[in-house]
Amino acid sequence: MPVRQLILVIVTTLVLARSYPSVGDTGTSPAGTEPTFATEGSGFLQKHCLSCHSGDKAKADLRLDKYRDEAAVIKDRKTWQRVLDVLQSGEMPPPSKPRPGLAEVENFTKLIGLIFKQHDESTKPDPGRVTMRRLNRNEYNYTIRDLVGIDFNPAEDFPSDDVGHGFDNIGDVLTLPPVLLERYLAAAESIMDRAITPNPPRPPNRGVATQYTEPAGPNVPMKGNFRVVSGRAGGTPIETGPIFTRYQVPADGEYIAHTQVYVETSGSKPVKVALLAGCSPTCPLAAKDAEADTIAGAAAKGLRPFVILKTFEVKARNESAAEHLQAAIPAGIGPDKVAVALVKPEDGEPAPTLYVKFLSLEGPLDTRPASHRRLLACDPNKPEAERTREVLGRFASRAYRRPVTAEELDRLVALAESRRQAGEKWEAAIQFAMTAVLVSPKFLFRVELDDRPDSPDPHPLDEYQLASRLSYFLWSSMPDQELFDLAANKQLTPNLDSQVKRMLRDPKAAALVEHFVMQWLQLQRLSTAQPDPKLFPEFNEPLRAAMLRETKLFFTEIIREDRSILDILAGNFSYLNAPLARLYGIADTAGNKIASNPKDRKPGGKPFKPDEFSRVDMTGTGRGGILTQASFLTVTSNPTRTSPVKRGRWVLEQLLGTPPPPPPPNVPELEENGKPLTSGSLRARMEEHRKNPACASCHAKMDPLGFGLENFNAIGAYRSKDGEFPIDASGELPGGLKFSGPEQLRQVLLTKKDQFARCLAEKMLTYALGRGLEYYDRRAIDRIVADLAAADYRFSALVTGIVKSDPFRLRRGRTP
Amino acid sequence: MTARISRRTLLRGLGVTVSLPWLEAMGPLTAWAADGTPSKNPAPNRMVFLYVPNGMNMADWTPKAEGPDFELPHILQPLKDVRDDILVLTGLTADKARAHGDGGGDHARALAAFLTGCQPRKTDGTDIRAGISVDQVAAARLADRTRLPSLELGCEHGAMAGNCDSGYSCVYSSTMSWRSATQPLPKEVNPKIVFERLFASTPDGERLQRDARRKSILDFVREDSLSLNARLGANDRRKLDEYFSAVRDVELRIERAEKLPPIQAPDYKVPAGIPASYEEHIRITYDLIVLALQADVTRVITCVLANEGSNKPYPFIGVPEGHHDLSHHENNPKKKEKIRDINTFHTRQLAYLLGKLKSTREGDGSLLDHCMVVYGSGNSDGNAHNHDDLPILLAGRGCGTIKTGRHLRYPKETPLNNLWLAMLDRMDVKIAALGDSTGTLTGLSG
Repeated sequence: MPVRQLILVIVTTLVLARSYPSVGDTGTSPAGTEPTFATEGSGFLQKHCLSCHSGDKAKADLRLDKYRDEAAVIKDRKTWQRVLDVLQSGEMPPPSKPRPGLAEVENFTKLIGLIFKQHDESTKPDPGRVTMRRLNRNEYNYTIRDLVGIDFNPAEDFPSDDVGHGFDNIGDVLTLPPVLLERYLAAAESIMDRAITPNPPRPPNRGVATQYTEPAGPNVPMKGNFRVVSGRAGGTPIETGPIFTRYQVPADGEYIAHTQVYVETSGSKPVKVALLAGCSPTCPLAAKDAEADTIAGAAAKGLRPFVILKTFEVKARNESAAEHLQAAIPAGIGPDKVAVALVKPEDGEPAPTLYVKFLSLEGPLDTRPASHRRLLACDPNKPEAERTREVLGRFASRAYRRPVTAEELDRLVALAESRRQAGEKWEAAIQFAMTAVLVSPKFLFRVELDDRPDSPDPHPLDEYQLASRLSYFLWSSMPDQELFDLAANKQLTPNLDSQVKRMLRDPKAAALVEHFVMQWLQLQRLSTAQPDPKLFPEFNEPLRAAMLRETKLFFTEIIREDRSILDILAGNFSYLNAPLARLYGIADTAGNKIASNPKDRKPGGKPFKPDEFSRVDMTGTGRGGILTQASFLTVTSNPTRTSPVKRGRWVLEQLLGTPPPPPPPNVPELEENGKPLTSGSLRARMEEHRKNPACASCHAKMDPLGFGLENFNAIGAYRSKDGEFPIDASGELPGGLKFSGPEQLRQVLLTKKDQFARCLAEKMLTYALGRGLEYYDRRAIDRIVADLAAADYRFSALVTGIVKSDPFRLRRGRTP
Repeated sequence: MTARISRRTLLRGLGVTVSLPWLEAMGPLTAWAADGTPSKNPAPNRMVFLYVPNGMNMADWTPKAEGPDFELPHILQPLKDVRDDILVLTGLTADKARAHGDGGGDHARALAAFLTGCQPRKTDGTDIRAGISVDQVAAARLADRTRLPSLELGCEHGAMAGNCDSGYSCVYSSTMSWRSATQPLPKEVNPKIVFERLFASTPDGERLQRDARRKSILDFVREDSLSLNARLGANDRRKLDEYFSAVRDVELRIERAEKLPPIQAPDYKVPAGIPASYEEHIRITYDLIVLALQADVTRVITCVLANEGSNKPYPFIGVPEGHHDLSHHENNPKKKEKIRDINTFHTRQLAYLLGKLKSTREGDGSLLDHCMVVYGSGNSDGNAHNHDDLPILLAGRGCGTIKTGRHLRYPKETPLNNLWLAMLDRMDVKIAALGDSTGTLTGLSG
C-alpha cells in the first residue's frame, strides 16, 4: 500500500526535526535484542569519528571519546543533536574519509534517538519556563487600544522586533535596546497627550449669518444684516420660518444655542420667541403635538421633531438694541438643527415680525476626549487624595494586568503629588503618573511574578497570569474585563473551554490570523515579493493585497466556524474578488471556470466585484486549500520563475514539520561536461541536479512536492506550459509513492494528517508560549494532537488543547 | 557676517536639483568647519562602514596593478572622480565567516563576522552570540563626545520570520553592529525616523523640559522595579537587566545632551518615510550620513545596504532576478554580468556619497578628508561563498593618516580585523586585539 509505505519513509528518514528536538518514532526493537551505546554506538564512533574527534586536539573541540555510556550521551543533548544533524546531512564524515553506509547511519541515528526517547519517557514531566516577554509592536498597539481607548498605531516608529523560532513574540529573543526605550518614552508621552487634556480647549462655536439660514431661497427677506421672519398666518416657509441651520455633532455632548434678535409689533403683549433644537425621532424631549403647535411659521411642521429649548419675551424693538438669546441643550439630544421661531401670538394680538442676525451652536461644552473622561472618571466630591488613588489604582491594575499592590500605588500617588506640588493641575499630574506606568517594565513586559522562581517543581501560574497568556495568545492584547473578573474570582481555570470559544468568536481574534497564521506560513514576505513585471504584467498592488486577503479570510472562516484544521490543506472554499478570480480563471461566485461551457455551469453565480470578496465554492476549480492559493504560490517563487525547491521545502517545513537540513557547504557547481546547464525545462535541469548524490537525498524529498504544483506559475495562475515545455506535474516521493498534479498531492498530504496536526500544534504552542519547544514538551504535544484527532480536528480543540496543556498553565524555576 | 541662504532657496533659484556644494551656503555647523586654522580646532576623525551583500563579481572588482598606478575595473568605474581618495584593499579574510564545522549559513556568518571577527553561534532562536563589533568599540570610547555614540542604518528591512540562513537567526544576516557578544543593535531603515533622531525638531527650551520630565520618569520606574528581581527567574532577571541598562543609557544620553552645544538642524526636507525607489532610499540614507557627520551628531555609522543573502531584484537596472539567486551564478556568464551590474549600481551610489563628502568643506580640507569610509562585503564570490580575498575599499584620508589613491595587496589570510585595529588606532582608540585580529594592518599611511 503506497500510502503506508510513504508514511514509513517519512518517519524513518526525517527522524529528527531541527528546531524541536523530539526524537521521532524510532520504533521499538524486539525485546532482549536492544543494542546499547557501549557496543554498537561506540563501534560506530570508533570506526567513523574518533580519528578526528578525540583526545586533547579533537577537531572543532568536539571530543566524542568521552561518551562511553547512555548517561553521558543524555547529558549532552545539544551536542548529540548536532552530531546527528551533520551525519544525516552527509556533512560528516568529511569527503576525504570513507563514508558509512546509509543503513549504518540510520541504525546509529535510531540508537541515539532511542536513548533519548527512553530517557524522556522515564523522567518527570517538565512544563519548562517562559522568559518574560516584552510586548512586541503589534501587542503594544493592541494593548494601548484596549487600555487607553485610543487606536492610532503608536508603535509605528518602533524598530522591528527580532524573530526567533519563526515568530516575533519569543521572550528570549525580544531585546530592548536603548533606542527602543527612547521610543517607548516618546510613545507614552504622545499617547497620554492624546488621551488626557489637562487644559481643554474652549468649546467651538459654529455660527451662521441668517442670510444663509434655511428655509433657503433666491430671495431671503433681509433687513440690513437681519433676516426678517413674519408672524402673519398663511405666509410661505421662507417668509415665516422658523429659520434654522443644520449641524452634525456627537450626541453625547452638551451644547448652547445662541441667536441675536429684535421684534416689531403693533400689539400690546410681549412678543415671544423660542429657540429650538432639531433632534432624532426617538428623542424623549421632543415637543409633543400640542406643544409644537405653539410655534409659528409654515416651516414648523417640517422641522419636527424638535425640542423647544427656551421661550423668551423679547423687548428689543430696533437693531441697535438687539438682544442676545441663548439656551442650553442637554446631553443626549445631539442637535441636528438649531432654529429660532416666533411663538404664535395670543388670540386677537396682531402678528409680530422677528429680525434675526445669526444662529450659532456652541459645544460640545466638554472638550475633553472620551479617553480623558474614562481614565479620570471618579466621584468629584471625594477629596483629591482619594481621587488620585482611585484613578491611578484602576489604571495601573489594568496596565500591569494584575491588581496593583498598595506599595506600588503609594509610589505612583507620590509621583503624581510631586507634580501637584510643582504647581501642575491635578489632571496633568495624573497624566504624568500614567505616562510613567506606560514606561514601566511591569507594563512593557508580560511579567509573571513567581514566589518560587528557583523551585525546580512545576507549579501553576496565577489566574491573572493565565488570563494574560490567554489574551495575548488569541488577541495579541491584554485581557478584557470578563477575563479580569474571572481571574479575580479564581474562576478562569474551570472555565477555559467556554472562554476559548468566546474569545475565538470575538473580532479581536483576527490577531490570530494576522500574526500567528501569517508568520507560521511566512506570508508576510508577500509584501516584499517582486515578481518580474515583464513576465507577470498582471501582478500589481491590488492583486498583491487580494492574495493576502484571500488567505486571511480563508483562515478567518476556519476559526470563526470552528472548522477542521484539515480544511487548511483541502478546504473546498475560498474568498475571491474580481482581480483574483481573473487570475484563477474563475467566472463567477458559484465557482464556474471562465473556460467552462456556459451550459454546464453551476447556477446562482454572480459576477465578482473588484473591491468585494465573495465566498466561493471551489469544487471543480482545481483549487482548494492553502497549497493552491496565490499567496503561498507567489511567496515561494523567484521573481522570474517558480521554485519547486522552495515550494517543496515550504511544505516540509511549515506543513509537515520536517525541514530538510541546510545544504552542505561548498556545494559543487552545477555543471555538465564543463558546460553550465542553461537549456531544457526547469524540471529537466533540476533532475540533472539531483544526479549529484550530495544533493539527491534531500532534494528527493523536496522537489517532487514542488513539481506537483508546477501547474501554477510564479504568481499562482494556472498554466499548462512553462515557456515551450509542457508541464509535467507528476512526482515520486522517496519510497515510491507517485502522484500527479495538485489534486493528488493534496490527497497525499491528507494521508499525513497526523504529521500535519503535530506540526501545526508545535508551531502554535511555540507562538502561544513565546519560547522554542524542547524535548520535554513532547508529552504535551502528543496529548494535544491526540485530543485534536478525537475532536475531528476542530480548530477550537487545538486551541483548547494548548491552553490546557502543562507548558501553558504551569512553570518551574530552575531546570530540574 | 555673510548672509545665509537656504538650500531650498538655492535650488529654487537654479531651477534644478543638481548636487551643490553641500550645505555650505548655510554656514558652518561645527566649530572646526568654521575655523580656518585647523591647529586650533582640528576636525575629528570619523568612521563609516557600508555593507553590500552576496559578494562581488571579483574579476570586475579587483584592479590588475598594485600601487598608485592602477586602473579602475568595471565595478569601480563610477568612482573615477574620487579615485585619488580611495584605497582598494585586496587579500583580507574574514576567517570567522567560514563554517569551521558549523555547516551551511555563509551569508549569516559573513555579516555577523564582518565587524566582529567572531564566529557567530549557530542558532535560530534564543541564544544568539557573536562579538562586539569595531564600530561599537569606537562608540563606547567616544560616547561622551557626541550626542549619539553611533548610528546603525540600513536600506532593507531585517528580521524576517523563520531562520534566515541554514539555521542562523535572522539577526545575523540583518545587522552588523554588536554592542556586546549578545546584544545586536537593530538597524533603522526609515529615513524619517533617522532624521528625527538626528535632528529632533523640538526647540531647545522644550527639549530641556521634556528631558527633565523623562529623567524623573526613569528615576521612578527604576526605583519602582527594583523589588521585582526577587520574584523573577534567572532569564527574566536578564531581561530586566537589559531594561535597566537601557534606562541608564537613555539617562546618559540626556545628560550628554545637556552639556553638548545645541545641534544645528540643517535645512533639509524631512524625509517622508521609506521611498518606494531603492536608489532614492539609498541616496536619502547617504544624505543623512553626510548630515550626521557634518553636524557632528555622531562619528560612527554603520549601514547595511541590503541584508546578507538578500534576494532583492533590481528590475530598474534590467535585473529582474533575485540578487541571491543570481549570486549562485554557477559561472554562467550572463548571470555574472548581472551580478556585476548590481555591484556597479551599488558603487554608483557610493560615488554619490563620496562625492558629497568630498564637496563638503571642513576646515582646511573636505569632510571626506576627515573620514574613513569602509565599503565591502563579507563574501567574496557569491557562488563559492569564500570569505578570503574580500572586496574591501577604504575611502577618505582619516585626518591625514591615510595615503589614498592606491591598490594594496595583502598576504593571503590577513585578518580583516587587522584593518579594524588600524582604523581604531586612527580614532585614538587603542586596543590590543579585536576578534581574530593578529595585529594592526600596515601600509595604510603609505
